[in-house]
Parts: sequence; structure tokens; C-alpha cells
Amino acid sequence: MVLVVAVSDYLTGIEISVTLLYLVPICWCAWFAGRGVGVFIATVSAGAWLGAEWLERWSTIQPWVVFWNTLMMGGIFVVVATLLATLKATQANLEATVARRTTKLVAEVTVRRRTEGKLRLANTELQRTQMQLIEAAKMEAVGRMAAGVAHEVKNPLMTLGMGVDYFLQRPISDADDASLLHDMKHAVLRGTKIINLMLDFSKPRPLQPSPEDLNAIVENALGLVRHQLLKHRIEVVRQLQAGLPMLSLDHTHMEHVLVNLFTNAVHAMSDGGTLTVRSSLQAATDTSIVLEPQVILEVEDTGPGIPQEQLPNIFEPFHTTKPPGQGTGLGLAIVHRIIQIHGGSVTLGNRPEGGARATLTFNLQPKPHP
Amino acid sequence: MTKHRILIIDDDASITRGVRRNLVATGAYEVRQENHALVAVQSAREFMPDLILLDVMMPEMDGGAVAARLREDPLLKDIPIIFLTAIVSNEETHGSEAYIGDEEYLAKPVDLNILIRVIEGHLEG
Ligand SMILES: Nc1ncnc2c1ncn2[C@@H]1O[C@H](COP(=O)(O)OP(=O)(O)OP(=O)(O)O)[C@@H](O)[C@H]1O
Ligand SMILES: [Mg+2]
Repeated sequence: MVLVVAVSDYLTGIEISVTLLYLVPICWCAWFAGRGVGVFIATVSAGAWLGAEWLERWSTIQPWVVFWNTLMMGGIFVVVATLLATLKATQANLEATVARRTTKLVAEVTVRRRTEGKLRLANTELQRTQMQLIEAAKMEAVGRMAAGVAHEVKNPLMTLGMGVDYFLQRPISDADDASLLHDMKHAVLRGTKIINLMLDFSKPRPLQPSPEDLNAIVENALGLVRHQLLKHRIEVVRQLQAGLPMLSLDHTHMEHVLVNLFTNAVHAMSDGGTLTVRSSLQAATDTSIVLEPQVILEVEDTGPGIPQEQLPNIFEPFHTTKPPGQGTGLGLAIVHRIIQIHGGSVTLGNRPEGGARATLTFNLQPKPHP
Repeated sequence: MTKHRILIIDDDASITRGVRRNLVATGAYEVRQENHALVAVQSAREFMPDLILLDVMMPEMDGGAVAARLREDPLLKDIPIIFLTAIVSNEETHGSEAYIGDEEYLAKPVDLNILIRVIEGHLEG
């Protein structure tokens, strides 16, 4: 195009108007092509125009023409250079703006994510508090009911017990009569035991926590069930991590928990098996937020495991698969309650290899139950 | 040999009857039963027992209040009182007998042998 313009300039000889015509496409090209290519095109086109001028007027060259042309070229370069500088500045400006916005956006996203994390944590906390409130209200109702039931049931039991005791003090000639009386005495004791468990469950004594070594409590509890383990030929495997941090525990309550779990395991392995007790310190992560490390205690057996459909109700009071008179179904309910008031958690499930696994989780800084 | 006098106060007549029958059968005790908390002090004044078995949860007046009145009475204030209660559990009584504060408790249902042992403990000591 530049060549076409140069040729028409040469043919017409009207230089001023043609000079304007040069300017437009050169600027246009420079704008379009960007910096380096723009300068190149401007140089080439100006060179072409100058060359055309010189070729045509080589013989009749006059100093004022050279001056005029040089001035024109200078003008063109100034315009193009200004244009390019503006372009460059605009681009830099744009880049800076984009960078600034990006930084701001990243900051906003970070803040939002952090807020979201906090919110999620607060929500979890709220849900937990709500659960605890519901649980507390439930427990209060259960406690009141338990006291009422205890009163209403234990008085008749006492009447029965006194009657049975009376006849047991007298000479009994018939052996069947004697065994009948003993059965009655036994029934009174069994009823009493259930009511007492219910009372213990509904109003556990306030925690008396002190810094405790979980592994030592495990050993104590294993000692308490030693006879049961021997009797059923159950092998005990200890995988206790040494040097666990001290936990704030009520050791009587915790022994109670472990004895209940061990006893359930024994019942599940009445023909022998392996009881594995494993303790460990683990870093806990709640999705994006890293929490305090936790102490985990696992109790595993090689029994038949727990049927899937029972798992959701396993911690419910009075849920039992043992024949009437043998299990109260309060063992795991008590476990759950005690772990909960310690601010920990307990889950029960099946191992892929078979058998059941109870997992207790303790926070290093326990949140006490209200 | 003189028989020890035991007063049992419980609103449940079948319980007081059962306890009385058992204690009397040992040949060592004379027992009076009282089923109305409101007249318990009067009953105690008349009977002048060596020991009182006192139910805690009674509709007219609870055992604590009855005990307070008994102890206000100059003639009755030194008579030992053993509370009977349904609302304590195994754990709290460590089996069957315990003290809560300074008070001695027996958890219902009370086993006869434990009852006699505790009564004897008081009357001999
Ligand atoms: N390790 C286990 N393996 C298989 N089943 C189990 C195990 N632990 C618990 N269960 C099931 O859960 C039920 C409830 O257990 P829980 O300890 O609450 O009461 P229980 O053992 O039946 O009665 P109790 O504790 O008074 O003896 C049990 O009856 C049993 O069916
Ligand atoms: Mg159990």
C-alpha cells in the first residue's frame, strides 16, 4: 500500500497531501503490528518514499527538498514513537491493573476460604453443642425416669426379697422348694442389677479427671478381665505406643469402658481368638483444617463381627443380642456416655479381615461435656 | 435376754411387714412398723426404739425431714438412724451399704443378712 501511495505521489507530484496519506497507513500499520514490527514498517515505508524521491530527482536535486524530506521523516518518526510509547504505557498499565486485581482476588479468596473454614468449624462446634444439649436434656429426662422407675421397681423387689429371705431362713424339706426359692432370690438380684445399671447410666458421677497414662489404664483393665481371657483361651496382642502424652481421664470410668469392650470381645470369641489393643498418637485433620493431634485406642477381636443392620443402634441402651437375663444391653451405652463426657468419641465397626473393632479417640485438650 | 427394739418407717406396708417378719423371726428383735411419715416422731416416742430404719422417699414427708424432726427431739436424738433408699445405685453404695455425708444408707432391695449385720453393728458397738 505504501508503495502504491509513493508511486501516486511520484505521478501527481502533490507532496503535502500525499505526506498526510503516508502518515495514516504508517500509523495504522504501527498500531496494528505493535512495537518492533511497527518501527520496521515505518522505517521501510519512509525509506521507500525517500528512495522514490531520490531516484526521480537524482539529477535535479535541490537542498531544500532534502531538508523538507528529512523534516517529514523526523515528523513521522516522532508520531510513530509517541504512538508506540503510548501503546506500551497502556499495555503496562493494563498489566499492572490485571496484576493488582489478581493479587486482590487471591487475597479475597484466601480470606473467604479462611472464613469458610472458621465458619465450618463454628458450625461443627455448634452442631456438637446442640447435640450435647439435646443429649443433656435426654439424659436429664432419662435420669428422672430412671429414678422414678428405680423407686417403683425396687420397693416391690424389696418386698419380694424380704419374703424370699424369710422362707430361705426356715428349714426346707423339699429340694425343689429350695431351688424355687433360690431362683426367686436370683430374680430379685437380677432385677436389682439392671435397675442399678440404669441408675449408673443415667446419672454418672461427675468426672474426676487427672493426667493419666492410657496404656497403664489398658493394662489395669486387661488385669480385671484376665480370668475371662484365660477361660476362653483368648490371646492378647498389645500394640501400645510408648511415650503417649498424658490424657485428662477419670481412670475408674475409663477402666469401666475398657472392661465393657473387652467383655464384649470375650463374648464374641467364646471359643477362643485374639484380642488386639492398639494405642497411637495421630495428627488429626478435619478436611482443610489441621487440628490438635489425637490419641487413638483400638480394641479388635476375631469374633463374628457385628451385623451391618445392628451398627446404627449399637450404642442404644438395652440393645442386646444376648438371651434374656444374660446381657443388659447397657454395656456400650455406658461406654458411649463415658467417652462423650470425656470429650472424646467412640465408633464401632467391623474389620475387613473379620471381627469387630472399637475405636476410641481422645483429644489432647478435651472439651468437657456440659 | 432383752430384745432390741427396731422401728421401721416406710410408706410401703408390704416392705415394713416383710422386714418385721424377718427380724422377729430371728428372735432377737421387737419390731414396730410405721407407714405414715407424719406420725413417725410420735410413733418413735411411744416405742422408744434402739434403732430406726427410715425410708427416704415417702409421699407425706421425705426421710430427711423425718430424721431432722427425730433429731430435734431430746428423747430421740441419740437413736441411730439407717436410711433405706431406692435411688442409689451400685456404684454409689459399693455393693449394698454406704455413707452419704454422715448418713448411713442401705440400698433397696436390702438383703436380709446385710440388714442384720448392719443392725447388729450398731447395737453392739
Ligand atoms: N465385639 C463384638 N462383637 C460382636 N458383637 C458385639 C461386640 N460388641 C458388642 N456387640 C453386640 O452389641 C450388643 C450390645 O452390646 P452391649 O455391651 O451394649 O450389651 P450386651 O453386651 O449385650 O450386654 P452387657 O454389656 O450387659 O453384657 C451385644 O449384644 C452384641 O450383639
Ligand atoms: Mg456388653
